[in-house]
Amino acid sequence: MKRWYLGVLALSCCVFIPAVNAQDDLMDFFDEGDAPSVVTSAFKAGRIINVQSPETSGKGEMNFIIAHRFGRISDGWYALFGLDNAQMRMGLDYGVTDQLQVGVARSSFGKTLEANVKWRFVEQQKGGGSPVSLTGYSVLMRDGMRFPTDGIVRKDVHRISYVHQLVVSRKCSPELSLALVPSLVHRNLVDNAAMANDVGTIGAGFRYKLNNRLSVNGEYHYLLPRPVEDDFVNSLSLGLDIETGGHVFQLHVTNSRGMFERAFLAETTSRWQDGDLYFGFNINRVFQIGDRR
Amino acid sequence: MKYILLFACCAVATLAQAQRFATRDARISFLSETPVEDIRAESTEASAILDLATGQVAFQVPILSFHFPKALMEEHFNENYMESERFPKATFRGTLNGLDPALSGIQNVTATGVLEMHGVAVEREVSGTMEQTGSGWVLDAQFDVPCEDHDIDIPKVVTENIAEVIAVTLHAELKAK
Repeated sequence: MKRWYLGVLALSCCVFIPAVNAQDDLMDFFDEGDAPSVVTSAFKAGRIINVQSPETSGKGEMNFIIAHRFGRISDGWYALFGLDNAQMRMGLDYGVTDQLQVGVARSSFGKTLEANVKWRFVEQQKGGGSPVSLTGYSVLMRDGMRFPTDGIVRKDVHRISYVHQLVVSRKCSPELSLALVPSLVHRNLVDNAAMANDVGTIGAGFRYKLNNRLSVNGEYHYLLPRPVEDDFVNSLSLGLDIETGGHVFQLHVTNSRGMFERAFLAETTSRWQDGDLYFGFNINRVFQIGDRR
Repeated sequence: MKYILLFACCAVATLAQAQRFATRDARISFLSETPVEDIRAESTEASAILDLATGQVAFQVPILSFHFPKALMEEHFNENYMESERFPKATFRGTLNGLDPALSGIQNVTATGVLEMHGVAVEREVSGTMEQTGSGWVLDAQFDVPCEDHDIDIPKVVTENIAEVIAVTLHAELKAK
């Protein structure tokens, strides 16, 4: 009988002791509940410099982007290092959801109109889930220059070109974010026989945060081998992001003067080694116009 | 005698079992009030646990779970102010005073303990109310958090938009665990 009663005592102690220990392991309750969380803000703005970052406008957010690329810095004092003239792009991006964005833009370069869509369909997660975010971007561009009077018959459809790209991005640390961006450029009509209709590029970009308001950015796009010889070169850009609250200012130096994908990916002609660089900026201003919930 | 002991053992075990109450969907909201704008955010993913046997209480909320009416506010909150990647959670752990588990109705209680957020731990005494329900306890509290206490730096350009002291509201429905 004694043994039976001891057994029950032992059993009740087993049940009782964990409860007593509870004061030490209250915090264990929290650890058990840890779920993977989405990694946000890999980049500050929708573009690293020229190329798309994985960031999109939040739901109901309208982002107004005004961007300039000035003339060649190598023009020197005569043109105030290029500041005397500028190419301009004005764009509006709207967040349909926190992951899906649609946009329109106008560039003075080639009098180009564009319509684009961007969708971050995989989020990077911490504590499980995907190690990278995946973002698709497609843009339709319409060249608006008057057709040359060279006797060749051109139709409106010949003005159109497309770029499709995938942004594979990872925020490696709170400071460092990387992106790998393969792109396909298609032109319905090219200027001459020395241009291919389809061009592929592989790009890479980074952001390194110096502090909460300032980061260094860079991107490089490598033109994949084309079937024909052309004069186009790889695009390299370096810059700074400065955040001031409602605005993000991006200041940079680049050898690409066009600010839409076809131009800087496939039609860059200036070379860093010749000093043919352009100073430029993007200003991003956000307006919340729709309801977020 | 042995039956009394047996009963005591069982009673203690049962009592001890029912002394922990917890939730994983407590609501924490906060308000930054300035003449220029009021900024509100809310999380419904806070966890809370209470051990009546010891009077210990603990709360935790993932900083990323606070949602704002504007996406940009949320980005600034996480990136610039709370640095949620470095400091992903805010916690409070402490001891309850003034709670009588035998009473029904609303009771005023205080909790003394350590509030840790943005990597800075501050000793705090927070007062609130608790009410026993059929399945557990409902806990409500309101307290102020000065940004400065937790080394949350508000730059000069936005001092008109962001309050120096943030009013926090907590509502937790704790169930027996």
